Amino acid sequence: MSEPGAPIAPDRIGSTSVPAAAPASLAAPTATEGLTAADLHKAFGDHPVLRGVDLTVPDGAFAAVLGASGSGKTTLLRILAGFERPDRGVVAVGGVILDDDHHHLRAERRRVGYVPQEGSLFPHLTVEGNVGFGLRVREGREAEIAELLERVGLSGLGRRYPHELSGGQQQRVALARALAVRPRIVLLDEPFASLDAGLRATVRADVRAAVRRSGATAVLVTHDQDEALSIADLVAVIRDGVVAQVAPPRDLYESPVDPDLARFVGEANLIEGISYGSAAETPLGWLELRDGHRPARQQVTVLVRPEQLRVAASAGGGPGVAARVVETGFHGHDALVRLVMEDAAASPMVARVVGGMRLEAGAQVTLKVTGPVHCWPTPPAGDASPDLPAAQPDAGPG
Amino acid sequence: MIATRVAAEPPVVADPMVPPRRHLPPLFLLGASGAVAVVLLAPLLFLLIEASGSGVGTIAHLIWRPLTATLLWNTVRLTVVVTALCAVIGTLTAWLVECTDLPGRRIWAVLLVIPFAIPDFVVSFGWASISTWVQGFQGAVLVMTLAVYPLVYLPVAASLRGADPGLEDAARSLGLGRVRTFLRVTVGQARGAILGGCVLVALVILAEYGAFEILGYQTFTTEIFTEFQVSFNVPTACALSLVLVVLGGLILGGEPVARGKGRAVRTGAQAQRAIRRHRLGRATLPVHAALAILVALALGVPFGASVYWMFAGGAFLTGVSLLDAGWHTALYSGVAAALATLLALPVALLAVRHSGRGGRLLERSTYLVLAMPGLVIALAISYFAERYAAGFGYQSATLLIAAYAILFFPLALVGVRASVAHAPVALEEAARSLGRRPDEVFLRVTLPLIGPGLAAAFCLVFLACATELTATLVLVPTGVQTLATQFWAYQQNLSYGQAAPFALVIIAIAAVPSYVLARYFDRLPSRAGTAS
Repeated sequence: MSEPGAPIAPDRIGSTSVPAAAPASLAAPTATEGLTAADLHKAFGDHPVLRGVDLTVPDGAFAAVLGASGSGKTTLLRILAGFERPDRGVVAVGGVILDDDHHHLRAERRRVGYVPQEGSLFPHLTVEGNVGFGLRVREGREAEIAELLERVGLSGLGRRYPHELSGGQQQRVALARALAVRPRIVLLDEPFASLDAGLRATVRADVRAAVRRSGATAVLVTHDQDEALSIADLVAVIRDGVVAQVAPPRDLYESPVDPDLARFVGEANLIEGISYGSAAETPLGWLELRDGHRPARQQVTVLVRPEQLRVAASAGGGPGVAARVVETGFHGHDALVRLVMEDAAASPMVARVVGGMRLEAGAQVTLKVTGPVHCWPTPPAGDASPDLPAAQPDAGPG
Repeated sequence: MIATRVAAEPPVVADPMVPPRRHLPPLFLLGASGAVAVVLLAPLLFLLIEASGSGVGTIAHLIWRPLTATLLWNTVRLTVVVTALCAVIGTLTAWLVECTDLPGRRIWAVLLVIPFAIPDFVVSFGWASISTWVQGFQGAVLVMTLAVYPLVYLPVAASLRGADPGLEDAARSLGLGRVRTFLRVTVGQARGAILGGCVLVALVILAEYGAFEILGYQTFTTEIFTEFQVSFNVPTACALSLVLVVLGGLILGGEPVARGKGRAVRTGAQAQRAIRRHRLGRATLPVHAALAILVALALGVPFGASVYWMFAGGAFLTGVSLLDAGWHTALYSGVAAALATLLALPVALLAVRHSGRGGRLLERSTYLVLAMPGLVIALAISYFAERYAAGFGYQSATLLIAAYAILFFPLALVGVRASVAHAPVALEEAARSLGRRPDEVFLRVTLPLIGPGLAAAFCLVFLACATELTATLVLVPTGVQTLATQFWAYQQNLSYGQAAPFALVIIAIAAVPSYVLARYFDRLPSRAGTAS
């Protein structure tokens, strides 16, 4: 199905800014399967929005594009959908080119399912009319619509009008409408942003399941990192118009490419240390390094996630580093504790503890890090360069 | 199935020849809107050409004389007094209907709006025909206030309906009493609506001709009309028109300044709490009485007087002339309404979908038409056609229809804008991503969504044209009568009995559909969003 002869410059394909760390759960993708975007550029007037976006999503995977507002993520989605034409670059689906320097396949011919931000249901049509909008065949139409509605959990609501539905129901209808044309790719533009927090989780899970059953490759755009990490097989973080990193959620969370990204994806404690092979010496003690070997005696910045910090009351006298509680932010299921270490001038740390644990401000505790940690070489001048590679040749001093 | 089909056409399936026309829709729209703006501003241009034709010195001389001062004093004091009265009456009645537990609110809401649909010259006729006191300044104040206060009532009522009740609660909790809360918070919130209504009132008074002619009150419009139609003194008419347009421009330009920078800001979800209505208690009866008097004066007198004259005037119905005039009114109004709606479409699309600076500027510029009274537009068009276009279209319906379309363009734009906002571009994009061609998208999505709004805009303009008098008097083809001009002819001859049926027909065709349309536009916002 995917001919190797597809005229895509091979050097552009699959080139993400990270050495291809294919998720183990997915079959190793060939370059032409699924969705490929290569070197996409787009500017509005003088204002560049995309500056060379590379993204490859394996066939059938659910990818999330995560970015702050203004990072270009919605523009990327609109280019994939065919509403905007890139200034430069290639978009291909299943080995078929949709956009390059000479071609632009119009939105209506792409077979790309699109779920807009607010659902954007046709207000003059019923739910059935909306879902069946893209269906061209007459026979089996009703059965197909009923099946689609059942798939998104809305059986029996076909006669309603959009304004008679709740926000979550509207999003489900929008998804069913997009799936009706059996797209190879489904694009979701912050579809859960307008939903109540309570509703969001269930709608999210149902959407995920429905898309998975359809077999389509999905790209979800969001600014919500919890959402991206929980829903996607693959998360692409877009920053200043380029993809900073593409990785499965766990890898992204545990091994972000630079400290900025670490802070963007979740809470992060960044501490300085010195690496010796597979461990680093830090104010929190000797920590095991995740990525194996480091050159000896290298200045590194270590990432410790809040849940990697074990907090114990000092009275127990267990092993660890002494610290004092500054404040506790209680969230019910858990609590975020801000701490300062007693003997170091290091900035405050954040630890995540189970909600039942009572830690008043001023309490003396001990800290212990569990599990391996990620680190980056500290730039010499002290300015955090975002482009440091995660791995470096073993050429350090000593 | 799809996968195999796609794979069957490898490796490239994109249309090879789609030109890079991403920016074409805005360009096309910009061009069309620009053309519309030029058409709309043409009368102003004609006026300036006329003025320069007479020579700057002559014009200045004509303006700089006691007559202008008299007209200015007459026009300005009437405008100020009527606007102030309308602001008070319109705001108070809107508050009573929207924010209190007034019994029979819905009926009052209808009765309070209907006077707006009755043309000012009919109201004026009704009053002047039964009382000799109603003339001159006091007559003009009375008649105009009763005829146009709904221009304040309507926007204020809409604004109070959409107002945030939380603000009043907050003010009360901060220790403000009921009266101070009303003045500082309720009125403060509706400030923009009140101001907008006042601007419309002032512009209507500047433009009004028929009512003042009947009442014998001399303003710029009556004097311009006399100079042009009776004395054929074009330079004077032109000079006075310039002053009038400048006055209108000042009012229009002053509005954003007076409005200030405050905007209603609301954080959080749009879920709106029900408005808690103030209890009138013992004031209920006096309030009912006051509203009844207002409605009796504004609605009862013109209607009653017309009915009275129809039966007591000794004249009988001239059925043929009524039918004939009605046919011409419908014909001219229908064509003009279609034209105005068509002209408004590109401007509305540009304003709603591409809210760039150019689009906003173009849209703004079309509102300049509001500063041009119908009389001035009609004179400019008529004079220009006669003088420079070799009499093209002069004494044909073309000029009248063009004048209508220009005059009521802002009205059409309001309606078309609302309908275009009803069809957000996201819906069209969604339709296209579902595999529909642009023509299918237009037929199946865009048209069903904007169609009703376009029809409503058409009706609005149609009604406005059908009840227009001043421009019609200037531009109606010789030997043709419309309802308004026939009424005017009888009224001028003091044939009240023969004028009365025309007045009643005008009231009927204006009031009933206006009510229906008002309800339609009221309902628009609640149906607008797809997200509830």
